[in-house]
Amino acid sequence: MAKHGGWAGKVLRVDLSTGKISTEDTLEKYRDYLGGTGIGYKVIWDEVQAGVKSFDPANKIVYGVGPLAGTGAPCNGRTAITTLWPTCWPKALVASGHMGGQFAAELKYAGYDAIIIEGRADRPVWLSVWDEKVEIKDARQLWGQGIRRTTIEINQQMGPEASVAAIGQAGENLAPMSVVMNSYSHSAGGVGGVMGSKNLKAIGVRGTGSVRIAGNKEEWEKLIKLHLSLLGANNQHVVPSNPQPWAEHYNAGSRWMASAGRRWGAANPSIDTGACEPHNLNRIAYRTNNAAYFLGDKAWQHTVRGNGCTACPIRCHTMLKVPAVSAKYGIPELGQNTCVGLLFGRAFFKSFPDGPKGQTAIEACMVGMYLADDLGVWDNYGQLQRDFQALYYNGIFKRKVAEKEFNSYSWNKYEQGDPTFLFELLPRIANKEGELATALGLGTGHLLERWGIPEQEWLENHDLLYWKLGHPKHHSNEDAGQCGVIINTQYNRDAQCHSHSNFTRNGLPIEVQKRLAAELWGSPDAVDAVAAFTPMNAHKAKMAKWSLLRKELHDCLSLCNWMGPWVASPLKEREYRGDDSIESLLYSLATGDKKSRQELDTIAERIFLLHRALTIRDMGAKDMRTKHDTIPDWVFTDPKDKAAFSKGTIRMDKEDIKLAMDMFYEEMAWDKETGSPTKATYRRLGLGTVADELAKRGLLP
Amino acid sequence: MERQEEVRANILNIIRDRSESGRLISAEEILTELKRRGLLTSEEIKPKTHLETALKQALQENRDVKEILAPNGVCYYYSVRRLSETYAGILVLKSENPLWLIAEVVRENSKRYPRPVPVAGFMESPFDLTLEAILECLRVMGEDKEYQDIAQTITSVGKTFLYSSRHLDPDYASMLAEWLDVGQADNP
Amino acid sequence: MTGEKQKHEILESALDFINSSHSSSRREFFLMTGGLIIAFSASGAKAAKEGPVIIMDQAEGLVIADPTKCVGCRRCELACTEFNDGKASPTIARIKISRNLNFGVNGIPTGQRGGGAWGNGLVIQDICNQCPHPVPCANACPNDAIVVRPPTNARVVDSKRCIGCKMCRRACPWEMMSFDSGTNKATKCFLCDGSPKCVEACPSGALTYAAWRDLTGKIPPRVAPTAIVAPEKAQTCNECHKK
Repeated sequence: MAKHGGWAGKVLRVDLSTGKISTEDTLEKYRDYLGGTGIGYKVIWDEVQAGVKSFDPANKIVYGVGPLAGTGAPCNGRTAITTLWPTCWPKALVASGHMGGQFAAELKYAGYDAIIIEGRADRPVWLSVWDEKVEIKDARQLWGQGIRRTTIEINQQMGPEASVAAIGQAGENLAPMSVVMNSYSHSAGGVGGVMGSKNLKAIGVRGTGSVRIAGNKEEWEKLIKLHLSLLGANNQHVVPSNPQPWAEHYNAGSRWMASAGRRWGAANPSIDTGACEPHNLNRIAYRTNNAAYFLGDKAWQHTVRGNGCTACPIRCHTMLKVPAVSAKYGIPELGQNTCVGLLFGRAFFKSFPDGPKGQTAIEACMVGMYLADDLGVWDNYGQLQRDFQALYYNGIFKRKVAEKEFNSYSWNKYEQGDPTFLFELLPRIANKEGELATALGLGTGHLLERWGIPEQEWLENHDLLYWKLGHPKHHSNEDAGQCGVIINTQYNRDAQCHSHSNFTRNGLPIEVQKRLAAELWGSPDAVDAVAAFTPMNAHKAKMAKWSLLRKELHDCLSLCNWMGPWVASPLKEREYRGDDSIESLLYSLATGDKKSRQELDTIAERIFLLHRALTIRDMGAKDMRTKHDTIPDWVFTDPKDKAAFSKGTIRMDKEDIKLAMDMFYEEMAWDKETGSPTKATYRRLGLGTVADELAKRGLLP
Repeated sequence: MERQEEVRANILNIIRDRSESGRLISAEEILTELKRRGLLTSEEIKPKTHLETALKQALQENRDVKEILAPNGVCYYYSVRRLSETYAGILVLKSENPLWLIAEVVRENSKRYPRPVPVAGFMESPFDLTLEAILECLRVMGEDKEYQDIAQTITSVGKTFLYSSRHLDPDYASMLAEWLDVGQADNP
Repeated sequence: MTGEKQKHEILESALDFINSSHSSSRREFFLMTGGLIIAFSASGAKAAKEGPVIIMDQAEGLVIADPTKCVGCRRCELACTEFNDGKASPTIARIKISRNLNFGVNGIPTGQRGGGAWGNGLVIQDICNQCPHPVPCANACPNDAIVVRPPTNARVVDSKRCIGCKMCRRACPWEMMSFDSGTNKATKCFLCDGSPKCVEACPSGALTYAAWRDLTGKIPPRVAPTAIVAPEKAQTCNECHKK
């Protein structure tokens, strides 16, 4: 049993080149970095030199979880996977992917807070982690198999409880657009190829141990109940999607889909989701139905149940049963996923014979999930599909691909919205067959370069939602104006931050949001109503900083930033307040290391700063403002040419965004001119040696 | 004296029970139920006056119990513990003509959140209007001076939303409708 | 040590217990023994002086589960161990989800024939039946460490008496005995003395705390039990059941 609560206490290190397996003391070495991405960034900073490429044996890949993983803290199922990012263009920089499922908890029960994989095996292997027994196993007979077959075979060896994180053919073939996947439908994008480059097919984890809660168990129980009472539906939407007797507010855009008459139609017998009054903690799991949210009302009849991560009551992965697909496409009638995973197949097509939310669209989703989640193809937050549509309909495929190859695709099927087209496309991407599929598997940045298309064309195209470095925007100006823009400048892939969008989309009236914003970020002016944005102010910069730090904190503690933070709630008696200190309360009680909200945010800031330092080091540039924190041109345009700050547009103003970046850098105590953190800031956050290293390279402002 | 307390306790009980089932209750219905329970029966001199006094007192003493006046002049009662003011407002409007219902809900949403409202939502609980009824309402609204602020916008996937031009201008409304119907799901 | 023949008899009588129709054997027992029941039903150490503990009292409550509502989040397992033991530990949870979560109760069948997230989606929650007499786990305990505890009359492990021999695990056909390697003790569902944490924790209302009824003949066993009954206990069985 670990000395501390929360942490398992050990980090597992496996060198695939030498076969050496060792462990480190988590707290001795990584205490200042908590877990998750914190351990990831620290390992990359200390051990992977600038200039290393994603698929080099010298690159490392860190599967990190935090002190809350495996506990009963709601929404703790996520594993952060940190490495040099293969789709980051023109040069691989540090980034992280996140998968839910059972992997994080199982790793903790096995006794580990992280796994560091280094080197490259000389033949295909998989890693078996069974409590303290860790073995590198031969994977030659698994190589070439899909994720599902691989998982089943490893489960046959390790037992049904084992969690298996495996890559498919896409990862094996070093397609940068590839995932690692566990628990049937939980993937982390971008890292499949890194595992493939190491000849690592999968990691199977079986843990029979426990995670100790350091604090008093009655206190822990009370805290868990408090946290549960503050939960909304998925993305922390705190109002239902239609009027309900208990609810003061409702919002057609809410993921709180439960309502009398809406049924899990494929449950046997079917189940009415009914009223899910927020005080009834035994109905939280019915609130969300992401299939119905994304695919339309027809999805209700196909819903078997909600599924999701360990300890999460939200169940954002919806399990669907669509009997028709079995005969029509020869695929299983059951499928499950969430958000872009659900939409994977549908999103390639411009239209369907029976409309965007008809039966064919659902079938396309089923085919997409069946193929992509077995082959292990990543879609880069929908950029793959947006690119595909643009490249086809603008005639670029036809120009760039040899005629014979081009004609080998059934484009008539594609144009007609026939899901069978996916059987032609997705396996070729995974297997890098032909120019078209190979290019798509590279990711946007590398594809554009390969085909000689200027990135500028993508930066200007409003519909493509492309941001920079080969990646799209992720909750930018459309959600939170300048705050969203700032957040999207900071990472080396799509930002994946939801702290801000979970708040702005929570469904509460703007005056309630403003009241909460005043308490959180010092002024009601920190937030605007959607598409009614106002000029920049310091409180928006505060909100941006808070959003980024909480995202990083969640990725280190193993809390889900697709749900948290929990600063708004469905509770009228709390005037819809959540609790801004829920993370520190959970951390303190679980670990026994008492930390205030501010203290924990400071640690998150250190971790975020280390990410910044890594980006600076590996880019070899200190002028982050112009070289890294860039904003695509489409942000400053409007389809109807409406002026920035007029109602009905998300268009931003260039001068105002300059001011926004100034204010953000100021808030972070970074150098305004370069956007690089100052020596004093590194020092203040305990990263003096990092500053010294950057100084040696002339990378301090 | 004891009798009065019993009446009050029963009134509260009746109101809360009704709210539990997601409905409002009028004074008349409360009286009927009280009588059924053997209270305020004929030997009472003025049951209606008695009820009014008791109701007034119940409202004063119990913050969860609320009164809402319907456009037809009837007062309804409910408990906010189980039934929100918003929902009560919808139920009261529903008891009137559907034109009012649609217009007031659309205006309130346009003003408060602000956001347009999908037409299809009116086919669901608690509105429960048929598509024909809704379309008829919209047709009548188009010809009635009272409702000239109620406007429509159609999203890129063909879903119709309603908004009040008193609170949202057309571009803003169409942007918000697109955001609710398409934008949020396309930007998950 | 007992002789080979005696061992065989003990095993036979143990299997008899498990295979017999519980309701009829109980009824017979009542008819035959009358007053003896009181002495046997006194829980724990006291009765041990008189003879081995044989649980005769019916449990008052039971957790019942609806698999169609289970969403596989395992919050029940975590509530069970965090709120009772101060640690998150599905291995010792007295309600068992993990083992059926991925592939259903039959292990790892392929395709859609199986249960769990990889099959038809159905997650069977494994729950202690709070067995009627004869209680397999209690009868297998050589140390009389599984006793009846009021007010629920749940069959509970008296951790002071448990020596961690795991015989109880080999006795339960439903594999509902857990072993806590941290404390070196067996543990099992004790109904949280009447307000089960698992029931309270379920976010889909799939668990209910209900009046006890006999589910032992309804729920298919997961394994064939292999435990033997201690000779003194087997002797008691013989005394009561022999015409």
